[in-house]
Amino acid sequence: MAKKSAKKPTKRRKIDPVVTEIIRNGVIAVTEEMKTNLMRTAYNMIIYEALDFTTGLFTPEGETASIGIGLPTFIRGMAETVKAKIRHFGIKNMKPGDIYVTNDAYTTGSHLNHFTFTLPIFHKGKLAGFSCCMAHWLDVGGVLGGITTDIFSEGLQIPIVKYQDRGKVNQDLLDIIRMNVRLPPRAMGDLRAQVTAVKTGERRFLELLDRYGAQAVSDAIAEIMDRAEAAARARTRTIPDGVYEAESSLDDDGIEIGKRIPIKVKVIVKGDEMTIDLSDVSKQVRGFYNSAITTGYGCAQVAFKCITSPTDYPINDGAFRSLKVIIPPGRIVSATRPAPMRLWMCFPMTIIDTIFKALQPAIPDRVIAGHHADLVAPYFFGFNPKSSEVFIGTFGPLGGGWGAKKTEDGVSATVCLNDGDTHNGPNEQAEAKFPIVVERFELIPDSGGAGRHRGGLGIARTTRALSNMTINSQSDRSKCPPWGLDGGGDATGNAIAFRVGGQWKTEFPNAKVLSAQLKAEDAWRISSGGGGGYGTPFERPPEAVAEDVRQGYVSPKAAAELYGVVVDAKTFAVDKGATDKLRAAR
Amino acid sequence: MTKSKASRAVRSANVRLAADIGGTFTDIAVFDDKSGRLSFGKALSTPQRLVDGISAGVEKAGSDYAAANLFLHGSTVAINTILERTGAKTALITTDGFRDVYEIGRINRPDAYNLFFQKHVPLIERALRFEVKERMRADGEVLIPLDEAGLIALGDHVAKIGMDAVAIMFINGYANPAHEARAKALLSKRHPNLFVTASHELSQEYREFERCSTAAANAYIGPKVHRYVGEIDRHIRSAGFKGSFLIVQSTGGLYESVQAQTQCVRMLESGPAAGVIGTQALCHTLGIKNAIAFDMGGTTAKAGVIYKGEALTTGAALIGGYDKALPVQIAMMDIFEVGTGGGSIARVEDGALRVGPQSAGAQPGPACYGHGGTEPTVTDANLVLGRLGADRFLGGEMKLDVKAAEQALARAGKPLGMNATQTADGILRIAATAMSYAVKGVTTERGLDAGDFVLVAYGGAGPLHATAVAREIGIRRIIIPGAPGVFSAFGMLFSDLRYDYVRTSLMALEDAPFDRIEKVFRELEQQGRDAIAATSVKPDQITVKRALDMRYVGQEHPVTVDLPMSVFAKKDRKGIKQHFDDDHLQRYGTSAPDERAEIVSLRVTVAGLMKKPPQERIKKGGSAPPKAAFTGKRPVSFGGKFRAAPTYSRAALLAGNKIAGPALIEEHASTTVLMPGDRMTVDAHGNLVIAAAGAK
Repeated sequence: MAKKSAKKPTKRRKIDPVVTEIIRNGVIAVTEEMKTNLMRTAYNMIIYEALDFTTGLFTPEGETASIGIGLPTFIRGMAETVKAKIRHFGIKNMKPGDIYVTNDAYTTGSHLNHFTFTLPIFHKGKLAGFSCCMAHWLDVGGVLGGITTDIFSEGLQIPIVKYQDRGKVNQDLLDIIRMNVRLPPRAMGDLRAQVTAVKTGERRFLELLDRYGAQAVSDAIAEIMDRAEAAARARTRTIPDGVYEAESSLDDDGIEIGKRIPIKVKVIVKGDEMTIDLSDVSKQVRGFYNSAITTGYGCAQVAFKCITSPTDYPINDGAFRSLKVIIPPGRIVSATRPAPMRLWMCFPMTIIDTIFKALQPAIPDRVIAGHHADLVAPYFFGFNPKSSEVFIGTFGPLGGGWGAKKTEDGVSATVCLNDGDTHNGPNEQAEAKFPIVVERFELIPDSGGAGRHRGGLGIARTTRALSNMTINSQSDRSKCPPWGLDGGGDATGNAIAFRVGGQWKTEFPNAKVLSAQLKAEDAWRISSGGGGGYGTPFERPPEAVAEDVRQGYVSPKAAAELYGVVVDAKTFAVDKGATDKLRAAR
Repeated sequence: MTKSKASRAVRSANVRLAADIGGTFTDIAVFDDKSGRLSFGKALSTPQRLVDGISAGVEKAGSDYAAANLFLHGSTVAINTILERTGAKTALITTDGFRDVYEIGRINRPDAYNLFFQKHVPLIERALRFEVKERMRADGEVLIPLDEAGLIALGDHVAKIGMDAVAIMFINGYANPAHEARAKALLSKRHPNLFVTASHELSQEYREFERCSTAAANAYIGPKVHRYVGEIDRHIRSAGFKGSFLIVQSTGGLYESVQAQTQCVRMLESGPAAGVIGTQALCHTLGIKNAIAFDMGGTTAKAGVIYKGEALTTGAALIGGYDKALPVQIAMMDIFEVGTGGGSIARVEDGALRVGPQSAGAQPGPACYGHGGTEPTVTDANLVLGRLGADRFLGGEMKLDVKAAEQALARAGKPLGMNATQTADGILRIAATAMSYAVKGVTTERGLDAGDFVLVAYGGAGPLHATAVAREIGIRRIIIPGAPGVFSAFGMLFSDLRYDYVRTSLMALEDAPFDRIEKVFRELEQQGRDAIAATSVKPDQITVKRALDMRYVGQEHPVTVDLPMSVFAKKDRKGIKQHFDDDHLQRYGTSAPDERAEIVSLRVTVAGLMKKPPQERIKKGGSAPPKAAFTGKRPVSFGGKFRAAPTYSRAALLAGNKIAGPALIEEHASTTVLMPGDRMTVDAHGNLVIAAAGAK
């Protein structure tokens, strides 16, 4: 099959395979070093621990040459932002010493927290590319707590402007930012970290250009992109041609509680090309769960990369040339001004999972069942009586269960698809900083969907307030839990519960409790969903079920009811007779 | 067995022996205080009974145990026990509600688009992770007292189900270890054969997962390391050794073997750390302040840093590949590693030539070994380009098959239209750039420019690639020490007793109580002095170094700031802030002198300085090498062109000899490549000091 494909690459350049490999390692090293410098200098945990950022190197046309992840679903946002800046200023008006910035939600496709800095790299007077860095600022103003219904209530909006003009910093801009954010020193710290990152990218890329020559580097990057394209095409060709569709739904938009939000995706595979059609995902919503069109493209690209080139580096635009994305404006992932976007990252994860679901009949061994698909990251704020300061606290993403695959169980307690090399915040760190005590932090037995391969487990964290505070939980996928595939069972969904005055309240119509007021000694319990199962649970080997019971991942009750396996709760031995009987009855 | 040595009548017992056990070889370095003589031995490692390899090496070095007063040892036993998962039956006891901390970990997914990612697998399965009622607050106050009855019942259960080891990790145990200490005491008293580790004994830093993983690793390897150290001790003593048996830690510092038997996790990376200590000693002798310690072997290349004369350490490391790593939160040499070594395999993938990280290892090994390897490796590339001599490998003990190497290279390069030589040249260039990233990794992370450093290259393959790697980084000066193949063992001879302690204690700098800081420092220092007093050696001098982990208020990641004693004596807040701002600027290129800073952790390093062997001097010669050193000429390829390069025998070179590249300098287990334009001088100690040509 692969033979026919060998489309001759255009002979427009001289390719040195050795230099190409050296440049390939080189651009990866550049974006990794940008990442390292950003992480180590950042002021807020969302950047340092949660790695909510992305660094990148771009060609003079704004094509992605290498991305340092960061945030996997931001795969498109930065390139589009670079291109928007090129359109805005025009290449001939870009000068050495310039650095451009914006946090415009409709440009980056995400929320206003994503400040994005871009530095045009000049080599011997000629534009050789761009280094770029997006990072999540802890606060950009706007209302705190509750839900927003337009972009204006979400904070300061900075259009595409110069942060630095030929080496001169735009002090007016800094003053405006400082006045509009709640924690100016942190914002300025993160800003400095980002500027360091784009300068690092510039310095290291110039070293490559000096060492190997601008033409050789640019040829090598073009070659790397062509190869990425060829690899993606070759792997797409292994997917049977066809039109594949799937549906799912989200809980609600946080305003019309309980009104499900429908997702429908269509994937068309033809030869070595794939089209992902998102025309039938829900229209944009009133609550802040929207994102703009670059994120719609991002959804399709993430799914496509997971299927065709998951571990190929550098991440570059060549890999997506054979992918077509159809998405009209006005959808939840192509929202238009002034749609609110603060929780932009939430819904796309479910769309991506739905694309995997659609492709399940075509490539059952390359897809994954549904995952918890949410950051599950409530934040809490108040006045700390000890330090006499306002605090905004978070543990970072909770992590939860991932779906099972045809050949293996799902992974437990891992960050959702939106995030990659993202770390949670240690409980001990949060306790040292905020007036809280974590009572429990544990895996949730039976949260993974049953299946021939079991879904991963979710996590629950119970946190007690030591002083009065406000909690905002904004998670979706509570009542629309992660799904199983090929007969596998659903997992449990994300959930929130409160203990107020000693009484637990666990029943909520969703997992969105905005601005809950807690007093000292009250508590909240946030739980992440598991991952869906894969294949019929009754086909899971009884020994594997018994092992799950022994480890406490599955309860004896669930083993019997869902898997038809009777396990002795003390010895963990399989009762073969009873098991055969149960399984025969199905 | 050689009688002449065994029958020496007078035993002076002032010889120090150093033994570094690696996967393939056991390296021995011997220094005789009296004669000032340094000698080396290399023997095959004997995995079944590692002491046999040591004894064989000691004999090869022409020494014996009875003559020694110091036995210094580094071993891969601890790290291999973790990597190969061959540790003890181990249970974990945590605070009620937190047994899953160890499995949940940090939840990250480094391979962000890989749906088939895996996460770390704890050394202790969930069924063996237990909880007990107790709780400390972050400020060290007791929130829930330790349920001693519950703990005792748990201990009995753990013993009953056949556990050999137990790790204890209580939340906020870093802030107040009383419950952990009490729990350990209760368990140890009732079950004296159980190997019990409490997390605070190894780390008093916050981050419960990392501390838990550290304690679990220590318990898991504990019984085995304990036995291993005991066996060696018995063996060498029965062979007449009467001195002190010290083990190299991952910091490069030494501790008493008895201490290694309980704090086992501190010896994880002893071999690589000792190489950096050797580099530091070399730099000290030569008056070099900043150097990269570059160690290249069969499967990996490693880089450590000497900065301002000090070997740089870090507070934590990850064991195993990054995506599935188990963290260990203890002081370690800061070493960056890439999967490029002599055995790294080159392949064409997706139209690109890739080198490593797969390695041919010792079996089947490079194609030229003739042991059945068919894929080309870095070693094959060196052979085909003439950098290795087919008849001179390992001093001629092993003949290399040039034909096999050529065939493997030609086959690999064919899809790219490259012949064997071109492929070989490409492999070495790609390998050199990959390794240069390892070096940049350790330096740029600290805001240092590697180009200003001296490259000290060792390990079997280090001298072969040093001049190429130096060019990639812009380094102009390269040093190949004597006996680069046994350099880690050599480094051990220069190690000091060393004890590192850290305690997290959050406070704002502007109102940090100096009396409390002083109290904590004194406590930690006293622990160090006690530990030194408990060893069997009398160090010449005890030194204490203090550092603070600091950050700007609101920042998450602290910087470790080394501070002079005087700032504490003078209660000099401004001075501390100034040091922190400077370090921050140095490391990250920015600082914020107007912003408030806070202290996160207090760090102490207590060292017991040992007498160092002097660096030997070799015989002096003129600038032209003696005739005997010249061993011929052979065609060697540089930049794609073969030219006749002279070869020299290193053993015959004299101090002051100068050789200009292109040339090869051969010794038993290594070859130094001088590129065209490089100029090499043999210094007074026999080091090859190379001035690179054409560096940036």
